[in-house]
Amino acid sequence: MTEEIKNTQKSIEPQTSPAVITRRRFLTAMTAVTGTAVAGAVVVPMVQSLEPTAAASALATTTIDLTPIEPGMQVTAMWQEKPVIVINRTPEMLATLDETMQKGLLKDPNCNVPQQPPYCKNKYRSRIPEWYVGIRICNHLCCIPHYRPKKGSVAPWWLGGFHCPCHGSMYDLSCRVIKGSPAPHNMAVPEYEIDIAKKKVVVTHMYPLAHLC
Amino acid sequence: MKKLLVIGTLVAGLGMGGMVAAEAETAPVLMKPKYTYDAKTIIAGAKLFAMHCMVCHSVQFMRYEFLTKDLGMSKADVHKYIMLPTGAGYKANMVSAMPVNMASKWFGRPPPDLSQMERYKSQDWIYTYLLSFYQDSKRPSGWNNHVFPNVAMPDVLAPMGGTWSEKGKLLKAGNESQQKFRKQVTDIVAFLRFVSDPSVIQRHEDGPWVLGLFALFTVFAYLLKKAYWKDVK
Amino acid sequence: MGLKEWVDKRSPLPDMWREHMAEYYAPKNFNIFYYAGSLLLLMVALQFLSGFLVLAHYVPSAEDAYNSVFGIMYDVKYGWLMQYMHVDGSSLIFVLLYVHMARGMIYGSYKAPRELVWIIGYILYLIFMAEAFFGYVLPYSNLSYWAGTVITSLLKSIPFIGNWVTIIARGGPGISGDTIGRFMALHVTLVFILIIGLIAVHILYLHKVGSNNPDGIDIKENKDSNGHPLDGIPFHPYYTVKDLSGFGVWLFIFAAVIFYAPTFHHIFLERTMSTPANALKSLPDVTPPWYLSPFYAMLRSIPNKNGGILLMLFAVLVPFLMPWLDRNPVRSTRFRPVTRIMLIIFFLNFFLLAWVGEQPPLPKYFFPERLGSVIYVGFFLLLPIVTMFEPTRKPPARVRYRAH
Repeated sequence: MTEEIKNTQKSIEPQTSPAVITRRRFLTAMTAVTGTAVAGAVVVPMVQSLEPTAAASALATTTIDLTPIEPGMQVTAMWQEKPVIVINRTPEMLATLDETMQKGLLKDPNCNVPQQPPYCKNKYRSRIPEWYVGIRICNHLCCIPHYRPKKGSVAPWWLGGFHCPCHGSMYDLSCRVIKGSPAPHNMAVPEYEIDIAKKKVVVTHMYPLAHLC
Repeated sequence: MKKLLVIGTLVAGLGMGGMVAAEAETAPVLMKPKYTYDAKTIIAGAKLFAMHCMVCHSVQFMRYEFLTKDLGMSKADVHKYIMLPTGAGYKANMVSAMPVNMASKWFGRPPPDLSQMERYKSQDWIYTYLLSFYQDSKRPSGWNNHVFPNVAMPDVLAPMGGTWSEKGKLLKAGNESQQKFRKQVTDIVAFLRFVSDPSVIQRHEDGPWVLGLFALFTVFAYLLKKAYWKDVK
Repeated sequence: MGLKEWVDKRSPLPDMWREHMAEYYAPKNFNIFYYAGSLLLLMVALQFLSGFLVLAHYVPSAEDAYNSVFGIMYDVKYGWLMQYMHVDGSSLIFVLLYVHMARGMIYGSYKAPRELVWIIGYILYLIFMAEAFFGYVLPYSNLSYWAGTVITSLLKSIPFIGNWVTIIARGGPGISGDTIGRFMALHVTLVFILIIGLIAVHILYLHKVGSNNPDGIDIKENKDSNGHPLDGIPFHPYYTVKDLSGFGVWLFIFAAVIFYAPTFHHIFLERTMSTPANALKSLPDVTPPWYLSPFYAMLRSIPNKNGGILLMLFAVLVPFLMPWLDRNPVRSTRFRPVTRIMLIIFFLNFFLLAWVGEQPPLPKYFFPERLGSVIYVGFFLLLPIVTMFEPTRKPPARVRYRAH
């Protein structure tokens, strides 16, 4: 008889007292909170492991040698997967910078839009007038503009500058955008150090306010 | 009875295993000094490494900046004591200045990269190896080693630790006392140990917090389980 | 109508939830060994996440594989964590697999009606071995190189087509960058997908017949008026909260290993893993990871190439027959002490084989190797005879459980 009573004994007798229910709720909340923290401790480092590696940031600066760049010539180098152009501008080329301003060809002649670090906010858009250092990416839709330094090479009035093959944006020799171009702003200038004595430019990082394209 | 037999054989087998394990191998006995493994000894080792070892050996996975980031060495000190005057950047890998083809010509093969050497060989092995050089006129380098016979590497630490004969006789004293020299060798070992796993600093910093959090979670989860299992009769 | 009802009407999930969680009745007397199953699910999930992130930085080529793997350690933020999670995780998965399988053997979980659960589970174990093998070839360390060479050369023993199969497996006469490419493809796609799929199948087959328990009693024989087993409790919430606390303890152990003993005295991460592949320099001794070494010891114990391979194959495959080798109708070894003692000897012997498999291949280890092989094979040969005649106590009618 006792055997039979034992054999129908149930395994679950749900607790109904409010104290037990409250305790369960509290512990569920605490387990959820600490459990979220545990998940966070696993997930946060996982996401951070996708940040640029030390190897990538070791390659983040590019040094460009100025020695081979004759006056009037340019060199385009790769910096952080982007083309950076360095132009050695002759006095005649520098003179065209005033001319474009006088003729009122430019959208932003005084470089009020912060497309360049403050130390390049001048008509040369560079630290040293002769040496232009900038990112060679059209402000419109990210194409790489052609370098057209010869007067009259793009249009009869052309004073020298850049012409984008994609949608025809035009820039002067300081990469200031010319009116009538689809591009909204001047081309971006990164932050860089230039050492004329050692003949080298070190491009360090992107100027954060500049808008690439 | 059969079971007893099996257990007996098994115990005998295990005992046998213990015996063979205890048998001495022909490999040299490694010294087991007391190592101090902290930022101070690692930095001291890094300086010694840069001075004596990095002429030939790279630790190509290390970057100079890790010495600052992980160990708190100042950038100026890294430039002054560690970096070679070859113009490699502060963020660059710690690569020896010796061109590989030259090294191959001089030593027969390029000196190995030491990034994971401690992981590979153990710190006792490196320590014993560095203290086991002896003069051997039959070798092209003039040196031989008890731990690594016919090694191509010369005893670059001889000016500090002294020159020894094969039988362990001091032929020419070094300019450091033996005690100080051995301490310096443990520092080099500490640096190589760090290089083989630089995560150790961060692991030991984060470890208590992570374990504490997991323990806290376990406590709540266990109490929750207890609360629910009150239902189960 | 709320969004929840709208979705519920169209979704299979509510039914699945009821069937596999809320109304899946599991015996109430599970003990500590029963955590291993849910912990394995957790570990596979973590292994997927850490593997995904390690793969994001890995370059599968002979030139770059080693450097990219160690680049993760040095150059990737928290790369060491991802890598140690993946390396130690694989070893800990095998710890759990062995606990899980030993539990099944001790409580007779392989016996009718759970033969297919055992077989699917054992296939999973073999696939985990393959996954681990492909994984440790990928860093292209010297251990990877020689382990890959040795294991793929086993394929040469296949009659008639052995050489061809070996070349197909390696992508050439020896281990090379091409081998890494195909091993990576296997490691991250085919074998991994098989693992996920078979885990699902394993659980579905288990839920069809119901879980066994330490007393080995069929809980479905005692049902209440609703048709629920009297000794069963709903998986959710009782076993979900229980497994959750198990997760906590296990994650604590896992983290302790990663943060304080990531190489686990070079058992989880062998020393020879830290030197690049060198086809001209064989390792001082090519020993497999600890979780494969028992079978490797048996391979070495026979001084004949094909004989050793056959013994190893036998050792690996014979556990498939467990459900039929065990002739005793009583499941749990709680009631049949002779089988239990045999099992304990079998497990100790497995440790002996694991240890001896890690030793250098010297003649002085022949004796323990052969002794271990004899005990291993002897266990399976004796099992049908012993289980037919062993003294057996009558199991109780209901499972034994002390409320606390």
